[in-house]
Amino acid sequence: MLDWIWILLTAAWLLPLLGFAVEVFGGYWQQSRRDRTPALIAVACIGAGFVLSVAAFIIWGSETHWGVFAAEPEHGDVPAQQAVEDTTREAAAEDASELQPADAGQQHSYRKAISGTIYTLARFGDLKLSIDYYVDSLTLVMFMMVTLIATCIHIFALGYMSDELTDEYVDHQAHTAGGDHVHRPGRYYLFFSYMSLFCFSMLGLVLAGNIFQVFIFWELVGICSYLLIGFYVERHSASTAANKAFIMNRVGDFGFLIGLMVIWTYFGTFSLGPETIGDETRPGIFAMVRNAEGGLDIRNESGSPVVHLNGSVAEADDAGAADGEAAVTAERTIPYWLLVVAGLGVFAGCIGKSAQFPLQTWLPDAMEGPTPVSALVHSATMVAAGVYLAGRFYPVFTPDVLLVMSYVGCITLFLAATIAVVATDIKRVLAYSTISQLGYMMLGIGVAGWAAGLFHLITHAFFKSLMFLCSGSVIIGCHHEQEMPRMGGLRRKMPITAYTMLVGVIAISGLAIPFTILGMKLAFSGYHSKDAIVATALAFNYKNPVHFLLFLVPLVTAGITAFYMFRLWFYTFCGEPRDRHIYDHAHESPRVMTLPLIVLAVFAAGVAVGGEGGPLYRMLLASEPAGVDVGSEAIDPTVAFIPEDVGYALVGQPARAEIHSVHAQAGAFALIAAAAGAVLAFLLYVVRVVDPGEIKRQVGGLYRFLIEKWHFDTLYDVAFVRPVHRVAAALAWFDRVVIDGILHWFANTSVRIASWDRKVDEGLVDGLVNLVGNVTFRVGRSLRAVQTGQLRQYIMFIALGVLSLFVLQFIFFPR
Amino acid sequence: MQIGLSEYLIVGAVLFVAGVVCMATKRNGIGVLMGVELVLNGANVNFVAFARYTPLGLDGQIISLFVIVLAAAEAAVALAIALNFYNNHMTIDVDRGDQLKG
Amino acid sequence: MSFSELIQSLLDDTTRSLAHFGPELWLCGTILALLLMRLFGWDRLVPPYIVATAGTLVGFGITYFDFLNLEAAGEAEHLFTGLLVYDRFTIFFRLFLTLFLVFVIALTVLTGIPDREDGPDFYTLLLGSVVGMMLMVSANHLLILFLGVEMASVPSYAMVGFLKGRRLSSEAALKFVVYGAGAAGVMLYGVSLLSGLLGTANLPEMAARLNLVVTGEAGMADATVRTIVLSLMLVFVGLAFKLSLVPFHFWCPDAFHGASAEVAGFLSVASKAAAFALLVRLAIAFLGQDPVAWAGVNLSLGIAVGVVAAVTATFGNLAAYAQSNMKRLLAYSTIAHAGYMLMAVAAMMIIRHGGAMAVFSEAEARSEAQRAIGGLLFYLWVYLFMNLGAFAIVAMIRNRIFSEEIDDYAGLVNQCPWLCVCMLLCLFSLVGMPPLGGFFGKWYIFASLFQAGKVHWSMWAVLGIAGLNTVFSLFYYVRVLKAMFIAPRPEGARRADIPWIEGAYAGILSLSVLALGCAPLLVNSVSRKAREVAGVLLIP
Repeated sequence: MLDWIWILLTAAWLLPLLGFAVEVFGGYWQQSRRDRTPALIAVACIGAGFVLSVAAFIIWGSETHWGVFAAEPEHGDVPAQQAVEDTTREAAAEDASELQPADAGQQHSYRKAISGTIYTLARFGDLKLSIDYYVDSLTLVMFMMVTLIATCIHIFALGYMSDELTDEYVDHQAHTAGGDHVHRPGRYYLFFSYMSLFCFSMLGLVLAGNIFQVFIFWELVGICSYLLIGFYVERHSASTAANKAFIMNRVGDFGFLIGLMVIWTYFGTFSLGPETIGDETRPGIFAMVRNAEGGLDIRNESGSPVVHLNGSVAEADDAGAADGEAAVTAERTIPYWLLVVAGLGVFAGCIGKSAQFPLQTWLPDAMEGPTPVSALVHSATMVAAGVYLAGRFYPVFTPDVLLVMSYVGCITLFLAATIAVVATDIKRVLAYSTISQLGYMMLGIGVAGWAAGLFHLITHAFFKSLMFLCSGSVIIGCHHEQEMPRMGGLRRKMPITAYTMLVGVIAISGLAIPFTILGMKLAFSGYHSKDAIVATALAFNYKNPVHFLLFLVPLVTAGITAFYMFRLWFYTFCGEPRDRHIYDHAHESPRVMTLPLIVLAVFAAGVAVGGEGGPLYRMLLASEPAGVDVGSEAIDPTVAFIPEDVGYALVGQPARAEIHSVHAQAGAFALIAAAAGAVLAFLLYVVRVVDPGEIKRQVGGLYRFLIEKWHFDTLYDVAFVRPVHRVAAALAWFDRVVIDGILHWFANTSVRIASWDRKVDEGLVDGLVNLVGNVTFRVGRSLRAVQTGQLRQYIMFIALGVLSLFVLQFIFFPR
Repeated sequence: MQIGLSEYLIVGAVLFVAGVVCMATKRNGIGVLMGVELVLNGANVNFVAFARYTPLGLDGQIISLFVIVLAAAEAAVALAIALNFYNNHMTIDVDRGDQLKG
Repeated sequence: MSFSELIQSLLDDTTRSLAHFGPELWLCGTILALLLMRLFGWDRLVPPYIVATAGTLVGFGITYFDFLNLEAAGEAEHLFTGLLVYDRFTIFFRLFLTLFLVFVIALTVLTGIPDREDGPDFYTLLLGSVVGMMLMVSANHLLILFLGVEMASVPSYAMVGFLKGRRLSSEAALKFVVYGAGAAGVMLYGVSLLSGLLGTANLPEMAARLNLVVTGEAGMADATVRTIVLSLMLVFVGLAFKLSLVPFHFWCPDAFHGASAEVAGFLSVASKAAAFALLVRLAIAFLGQDPVAWAGVNLSLGIAVGVVAAVTATFGNLAAYAQSNMKRLLAYSTIAHAGYMLMAVAAMMIIRHGGAMAVFSEAEARSEAQRAIGGLLFYLWVYLFMNLGAFAIVAMIRNRIFSEEIDDYAGLVNQCPWLCVCMLLCLFSLVGMPPLGGFFGKWYIFASLFQAGKVHWSMWAVLGIAGLNTVFSLFYYVRVLKAMFIAPRPEGARRADIPWIEGAYAGILSLSVLALGCAPLLVNSVSRKAREVAGVLLIP
């Protein structure tokens, strides 16, 4: 039965690829651009993917006897012993695709990852390139989340993109050289085929069982986002944004590639889970780098710290291993600093994908794509990939890397939130809020709130996709108007959109009623997850008072978040219409678009029901790497990456019990901040106690600074783009003058030689060839005369043919 | 004169040659088809004669029966095609079908 | 043996035989269903092509099932009191024919020939013709040889004339039927002489009888030998007509030109394949178990076949030069390809003889002969895809621009680029360009010719001519491609927008051509299978 899990997930993963192939070719060949079939295929594929994912989840649950939901100790007092046992079994497991109904009892079997190989592409000695799967509860949750959200977005897009259903689409925002609007055939099918490919890539990334495969799908996700962001390729802004997204990602991917190479060199494997080569089973990366307790085996060798990798055999011992004695004498090792480099490299990839500081600038520009794309990119797929990877590779990250991660997240979340306050384009506000929320997730993972970070990833995916789709609905309703200052009062025109949006806004702000009714907090999903992150940060702060910013900034930003989100909502849906024309023509979207909104709203509200005791959190917790819940006190100073004399070399990580003890406190802080933000927004934009424009004028400098997005684009322009242009120009000059000069000389010489050669050619060779050609052609033409068209002659030829053959036989046969 | 295998074979050969000549000389499409029948019947005479005089035995007779049936079927198709030719050309002069050549 | 025993053994034989006669029976059943449809007016309810496709697919399925158990069919089994033979060779060709039939029916559905009204008639003829071909490939008796050829031909006469209102079509059909009937008559006369002289009509018995009839070294001075050679010639005429070998090819360009491209494609592949199967069976029957006495005659027969092959290939290629009609050009190309394939048969005959001449050891001779036939079978598979592909594309373009003239193909690449690329693949494969399937087909045959050259030098001459021909053929195929890809589309010319499904069809065919050249695994496995199949004929 367990095999069914990966089979189902693989099917769910490959279906969109199939869809893509059908859509892109079928769509290309179809006569009319008005056909919805490709879109329906796409919806069917991803919808079926969701069903399959749920089926896999159910099988997984029943196989593990729903241990994941069974009564587990309330957070905090998970015995460390238990986690130890689990990972020991994981490391020792011979065949990972089969659960051992072992003595330890089945209630923990849900903690075990299922891994194996789907298809081996190639094998070069020890290196195996294969398509693997690695399935644990995180994978299952991600699969269900991605497929569900993608299904909703696909359905929404059925309506949103319907103006592409034409043979002649007039793009009012793109101009030809002559100044006319661009006319082109509609690309409805193309959009959906790209979406299918996108889903395929993301699911492949989630399912991937080795890091090389992760990288492939990582890049595929990048390509898909490039295609989709640049969907309106005729618009200059869209094509630029697509380029920017792709290039920014490449910068991060470069780091990823470095990390990949380090891991391959020192670990000798790409595989996440145990890998079987021939008869030998080797542990995967995670089991190698972490011991059973989730600790690193760091030893001080000749003055520098070295990490020993468990259960691995160095290549030199291959001969020894051959004669049956499993050589445990020589272990693989990796210098500590290289492990840090590997971690930072992988994290650099995450920075690029998840638009963290300093590579965050591509994401707002990515709003040039159609809104469903934004929704998909910002919730379930692209940016989620970065956080997912950070979570997945958590065991590889050393505490130093985690600290870097938390600071990057911290900077990002503040920076983006401040910009969001002044943005006026409805989609851009959401884009900056995405960056900010991604910062929260990174911070959460960085401060050892592994489950909290991923918890927020899932909840955020729901409410952010919801809000993007709502904004899409608004944009369609207002006939492609995206500027909030020209909206207002739309609540009356489009109630479903407005109130579903409100659900999302409340969720992201983390508002809640601070009482429990029937044992449940009245709170939407965002409250629970943000609460978890803030609590972890607070516990971290208690443990490492030096890093107080890691708690303070998120707390303040929680308030800012609530402020700008409510600002958005009030701006758009409340008050008096600011642009009569737009208001008069606004209308509620058709049902195909509102239905996904309602579905997503339900999930945005309720996906985290139960908070940290709820099913979602427990599912995530089941995949938590060993040792995270125990926390740590300090790192041995001998292995500290950051020199001691800086003064804060010690980073302790909070245990779950410690987090739990500050939970209520942190929750209260966060709630107060959020409420303050929301009230402020209400006062400014609804009651209008102060004119926001007045504030804008008062702090003009700050306002311009924020409007210019902290001058990041300018900075990059000056620091990278222009120098590169200069160098390129210089190189071009060199090329033109020096290299071309040499080449021209060669070229002229060879032309001179060739001209002689040509005379020979024309006179002799061509003459010969032409002669042959002419002769054959003439023969061919004369042969046509044989075919006279006279039936009786044909019959005659039968007789003559037989006769002539017979005569020939007579002549040539032996007598 | 004793009539033996050779005589039968000579009759068959004559029929065969007559048929081929008929096919090659007749301009009337029906005439050409009659030539075909002659050729087939020349072979039939051979078969029956061989059946009588050689170890081929009953096989020869059976084959000739098959051939007779098949000749009828072929003639039916051929006549239908000739009729079709007539409908399009208003003649069954096979020499008039000379558009396809070269 | 009492009468009741006789009846009983006949019954046993028939029931045993029927078990191996599934595909033919099923096709016959389908034909019956089609006729009944017409009778009861069901063709208004169900499109006839559905019935035809379903029947063919089942037939294909049965054959494919047999094919999967190819190893199991070790010994040749004689069906219906020895009229038919059931062995790997039979299975292989049944598979070929039924698969091809599936493709042809799909093509007719796509291009809309025939219309709904004529559907049952057309598919009846098509399936009937294929049943005839299936008899040809399993023929074990001269009667079946004749019956099979006729049964394959007669429906195809009608199919050529199927475009009822067209002058050209009616003319083509008339020429085809008269020519075909004449050739069949000639063949039947040859059959009568052959069976009478040898006293049997059973193919496997012929070699033994030959040794009885011809005593001592066979030579043309002997009247019996002379008559046998003459009757062999006459039988060869019948097959040469089906293969469109020079000088019995005259029907081919005219019939193809007048018929619709779909029918032409069908005739060009299926009837050739069946005729080659028959020719190989016949040739091997005469090479027999102990061909020593007959050796000299066999050698010269082989050379004669080689000469015919060389002349055919050359004639076909040269005559194709000056053609302006696409179907006619392809007809000549078909003739040329029959020449190439016949070379494999010639090589096989010569190589078999090499055993007697002590050039090869007996085992070597057998394995080389096996290679030659294997090469032929491989070529036929490639030929199926590339030739049908070319004809299919001609049909598809005809439906759009209402023309089959090469000049009207000018600039088509701008309107249906993928189809043009498919055409390019098919035509280049017909030339024999690597890395397409046609290259390997030619390569196997040429390799066998080279081996045969060790027995008799004339085969090296044939090889040289074949090589030259390959070069010649390039030019006229390229002329078509030049029109399609380089020439500009004239103003006001009809647009050729090909629906994706037709493009997919052409794509499947041309990708198969590509795969048969580019995928070494596939090439190896197909050619190995082909050799294995050929081996069954050559069991001593």
